[in-house]
Amino acid sequence: MDDTNNFFYHALTVDHDICTGCTHCMKACPTEAIRIRNGKSVIDKNKCIDCGECFKACSYHAIYIKQDDFDLMDQYKYKVALVPATFIGQFAGDVSTSQIYACLKQIGFSHIYEIEHGVSFLINLYKKYMAEHKDINTFISPYCPAVVRLIQTRFPSLVKNIIHMKVPLDITSLMIREYLSKEGICSEDVGVFYVSPCAAKIAAVKSPVGEDSSAIAGVINMDFLYNKVQHLLSKKTQGESEPIANHSLSGKDILWELTGGESVNFDNSSFAIDGMKNVIEFLEKIEDGDIEVNGLVEMRVCDQSCVGGILCPNNRFLAKQKLEIRAQEIKQHIENNDYQEEELFSEEEFDKKIAPMMNIPTITPRSSFKLHDNLQIALKMVENIKNIESKLPGIDCSACGAPTCSALAEDIIKEEATIDNCLFSHLPPEKYDELLKKIWGKNIKPL
Amino acid sequence: MHYTFDIEEGNFTNAGQASGNIKKTLKQLNVNPASIKRIVVALYEAEINAVAHAYGGKIDVDIDSDKITMVVADRGPGIPNIDLAMTEGYSTASKEVREMGFGAGMGLPNIKSNTDQLDIQTQLGVGTTITMTVFF
Repeated sequence: MDDTNNFFYHALTVDHDICTGCTHCMKACPTEAIRIRNGKSVIDKNKCIDCGECFKACSYHAIYIKQDDFDLMDQYKYKVALVPATFIGQFAGDVSTSQIYACLKQIGFSHIYEIEHGVSFLINLYKKYMAEHKDINTFISPYCPAVVRLIQTRFPSLVKNIIHMKVPLDITSLMIREYLSKEGICSEDVGVFYVSPCAAKIAAVKSPVGEDSSAIAGVINMDFLYNKVQHLLSKKTQGESEPIANHSLSGKDILWELTGGESVNFDNSSFAIDGMKNVIEFLEKIEDGDIEVNGLVEMRVCDQSCVGGILCPNNRFLAKQKLEIRAQEIKQHIENNDYQEEELFSEEEFDKKIAPMMNIPTITPRSSFKLHDNLQIALKMVENIKNIESKLPGIDCSACGAPTCSALAEDIIKEEATIDNCLFSHLPPEKYDELLKKIWGKNIKPL
Repeated sequence: MHYTFDIEEGNFTNAGQASGNIKKTLKQLNVNPASIKRIVVALYEAEINAVAHAYGGKIDVDIDSDKITMVVADRGPGIPNIDLAMTEGYSTASKEVREMGFGAGMGLPNIKSNTDQLDIQTQLGVGTTITMTVFF
């Protein structure tokens, strides 16, 4: 189903007024989706998985993340902020959750919910799914949308290992809608706004994998909302310590977004992997049959998981610590019985109303490696690529506008570049000895 | 389409380079994932065999439009008894090799089950050449 490409939303955008074409982002991209053209970085929409590695690598802040118009909120009578626990982790240790909530109310939200509300229900659904799919041993969590897209494009054979179910964000937004309609609020009046820690989650909301649309009215970048809240906090104008009545969570739930927060709910053989390189390495091993996990593999492309998201202003280790302290406090409150865990839904209600909507019918593999549908033609192309590659210097200097010599060879075959792109092709052979061998020794070969 | 790789004696860390390389090419060719997995497993096992038992060697891979042929030729002691070597669980791997998690006696049986054609030529004191074919 190649038409998915046309509908594939991307949150990462290069500002060509700022971009210098320096190649940093291109070299950082794990899917080789970036090329430098006319002095600017260009992202291939079919290869980009919105992981944000380019954003992190850019020294000029030329890559930005589109967000919805904040005024979109005004269209709804009830404005619901759906915040991940990670958001709370962005603020200094002495800022309380209730202070943050009070600021959000002042900004204009009528309801505030944390995404992790649906987590406990979801764990049971995942366990049931795993028990029902006996032909699969290694289950990959669908939680990190960049991982799902990485698998679709680079590990298509592992698409079947992804748990084909929705994630806490979807579940909680559905629960909130149901809950509010139970309270007599018309669903057309409700706008659910998701506060995102990263680009991948924005892309997932805008074009959900395997579905037509998402129940989210708009997305707000976490750093944007953080600034608004921080501004109010600094003015101390927010209503002090307004009690947060209805939004309690268990301590374990709010750790879901940290590394291991998901896998801890499954049996011992489950794994938690974070960081892009680690995720790719592990996927290779699963694909080769080198590793077989009889359980769940939690995978997040950011270091330290969501607190390492590119829209998180706070240092990820400080944010992680703040979440852990908060989880500990909640646990203490529950033990002392001075804390009421309020449920949006009872288990029966959830099973009846929400659970039937949790499955994702298909996740389409979209191999970014595939050169051609016809194997005969593809074989010829591979041969030509290999030929060209053998003539390139092999030092992956990126001056040609491609991340590696082999990527340039592929571009040449696809007629997206020519051998002229390689600067070495313009050097007279005698210059090789004079200039280049001094640097690269005899490894460098004239074109 | 021809590829050649060298196998270094005793270097387990590097084993898997050939299979990793071939895997990428097969993905570019859009070969079905089930075949890719069989090929990668068979080639990796053969690589490990050459690293563990022999004194290194060479891998030659040919990809055609309907099949892949992989020839792993090692400079090694040779296999004294092929029938025994083909038995699951039978292993002559050294204690050192076993301590690294290899040498479970599944190498050749695994290669056999993951290939469509398998030919083993061995000469004691000279080496072993394994020719594996998988049809797409």
